Amino acid sequence: MAVVIEFQHVTKIYKRLFSEEKLAALSDVSFEMASGHVCAFLGPNGAGKTTSINMLMGFFFPTSGHIRVFGQPPGDLIAKEQIGFLPENFAFHKFLTAPKLLRFHLQLAGRNPDGAGTLIADLLGKVKLNGFENLKVGKYSRGMVQRIGIAQALLCDPQLLVLDEPTSGLDPAGRREVLHLLAQLKAEGKTIFLSSHILPEVEQIADHVIIINRGKMVRAGSLRDLLASGGQVEILADRVPDELRQSALRGASIEPAQNGVRVLVDAARKRETAEALWAAGCDVIAMNPQRNTLEELFLKEVDQPGGAP
Amino acid sequence: MRKVRAIALNTFSGLVRNKIIILFCAACICILLLMLTSLLALRNMRGTQNAEMMQMAVLPLIATMMQFVSGFGSLLAAWSAADAVAGEMRSGTILAVLARPVRRWQFLLGKFLGVQLMMLVFVFLMLGLNYLLAWIGGATISTNPWVLIVYPMVRYMIYSALGILLVTVMHPILAFCIVLVMMIAAGLVAPGNPQTFMPDWLRTGLFYVLPSSNLLSETHFLTITRATLRAALWTDHATALVYGLDYALVCFLLAAWIFRSRSLSRD
Repeated sequence: MAVVIEFQHVTKIYKRLFSEEKLAALSDVSFEMASGHVCAFLGPNGAGKTTSINMLMGFFFPTSGHIRVFGQPPGDLIAKEQIGFLPENFAFHKFLTAPKLLRFHLQLAGRNPDGAGTLIADLLGKVKLNGFENLKVGKYSRGMVQRIGIAQALLCDPQLLVLDEPTSGLDPAGRREVLHLLAQLKAEGKTIFLSSHILPEVEQIADHVIIINRGKMVRAGSLRDLLASGGQVEILADRVPDELRQSALRGASIEPAQNGVRVLVDAARKRETAEALWAAGCDVIAMNPQRNTLEELFLKEVDQPGGAP
Repeated sequence: MRKVRAIALNTFSGLVRNKIIILFCAACICILLLMLTSLLALRNMRGTQNAEMMQMAVLPLIATMMQFVSGFGSLLAAWSAADAVAGEMRSGTILAVLARPVRRWQFLLGKFLGVQLMMLVFVFLMLGLNYLLAWIGGATISTNPWVLIVYPMVRYMIYSALGILLVTVMHPILAFCIVLVMMIAAGLVAPGNPQTFMPDWLRTGLFYVLPSSNLLSETHFLTITRATLRAALWTDHATALVYGLDYALVCFLLAAWIFRSRSLSRD
C-alpha cells in the first residue's frame, strides 16, 4: 500500500523572539501511514498533536526532520488537492450561510461552484444540516459548526481526511453520526488521520494508533496488536488440581466460572500453563486473549513516569 | 484566478461587515457633518458677502474636508488590510482556507484585492462627496474625474500593501500605528513643508524611503475653478502613478516573501 503520510525524525522547537526560552513541542517523531487506513493520533493535552497536524498541513515548519504527504512536502498544492482538513475548533466566516461557505471552499479548491447545488445539498444532508441553509454560520451552535466543518472537509471527495477532534462539541447522537460517517468513509477506502480524546469511539473505527506524550512518540502500531500486546490470556479449564495452584499456576488469578475454572495468566505464560493443565489431566475448554481497551492502554502509556500530569 | 477572486470577494464581504471599520466610518461621517455646518453657514451668508470673498472662504474649507476624508481613507486602507490578514489568523479561518490548494501569496493577493475593492467604493463615495461639497459651496469642480479616482486608489494601494507587510510580522494595532507614523512623517518631509527641526540628511532619507503622499496627492489636480486649473502632462501622471504602484508592489512582494515561511498560529 502506498504511504500517504510520512514523518521522519520530526522535531519542532518553539522559541520565543528575543529570548533563550525554548519549548520542544515534538522530539524526533517518526511514523508512516499507508493509504486506506484509519489512524488515530492520540495524546494528552499539550502532547504535540495539533502541532503535528499543523506541520502536516504546512501551517508550521519542523525545526528538523522531514514530512511527506502523498510524497510531497506539506503545503504542496498537489498534496492539498487530495486532503480534506478539519481544524480543531473549526473557525469560519460568520457572515456566510452554509451553502455559501461550501461554495467559497469549492472555489478555493479551484472548482466551479455553478451547478454544485446538488453536491452541497447532499453534503448538508449528510451532516444533518439541511433546513438551515438560510441561517448564517455565526448563529450556529457548537455542534452545528463542527458539522459544517466536517462537510467542508468532505467537499472535494478527498483521499486523505485529516481531522483534529472531529467529535468535539457534538452531543452523543452527533458523535455517533460522525462515527458512522467515518466508518462509511473507511469502507469507501479513504485514509483518515484523526486526533481525538474520546478513546472508546476511536477504538471503534481506528485500525492504527499513534500515541504521543510530551512531544515524544510512545507507542505506534496496529490497534489489534497494541490492544493484545502485554495483555493477559484467559484459560477455561474443567478443574484445577490444588497441587497445580501451588506450582505451575502460582501467581495466576484463578476463579470459578460457569463451566469450570477461569485461569488468568500473562500472555507469555499461556503455553506453559495450558501444558501444565493438560499434563495434570485437566480439560482445557478455551483460551481467550484478554484485550486491553484503548483507554487502558492510553492511560498506561501517559501515566508512566515522565508522562503527562 | 478563481481562488484569488473568491478570497477577494469574501474579504470585501467581511470588511463591509467589520464592526471596527463601521465604527471608524461612523466617526468620520460625524466629523464631516460637523465640518459641513461651517460650509452651510457660509452658503447662507452668500447674499450678504462679496462673491469673490465667499469663494475664498469656501474653497479652503472644501479642500480641508477633502483632505480629511482622503487621509481617513489612507488609514482605513492600512487598517483594513492589516485586519483582513490578522483577523483570519486570530479567528483561525486561515487554517481552513490554506488547507485548500491555495498558495500563500494567492491568499495575500486575495486579501489585498478585497481591500482595494472596498477602497474603490470609498473613492467613489469620496468623489460624490467632492461634487456635493462643491455644489453646496456653489463652486464647480473642473478636474478630470479619473484623477480623483486613480490617485487616491494608488495611494490606498500603498497603505494597504504597507499594512499587509507589517501585519505579517507584528500585531495589527502596532502595524496600524507604524503606518500612521509613516503617514505623518511623509507629510513632514514632503517638499514645500516648512518644518525645520529635522536635519536635511534625515529629511532627504525619509523622503526617499517613505511613500510620498505629496507626489501622489490628487489635490495637485483637484481644482475647483478653471482659473486655478493646473495643466499636467500625461508623463507627470504616469511618473507619479508608476512610483506609487511600484511602492505598493515592493511592499506586497516583501509581505508575500515573509508570509511564505510564517507559522500560521492563532494569535
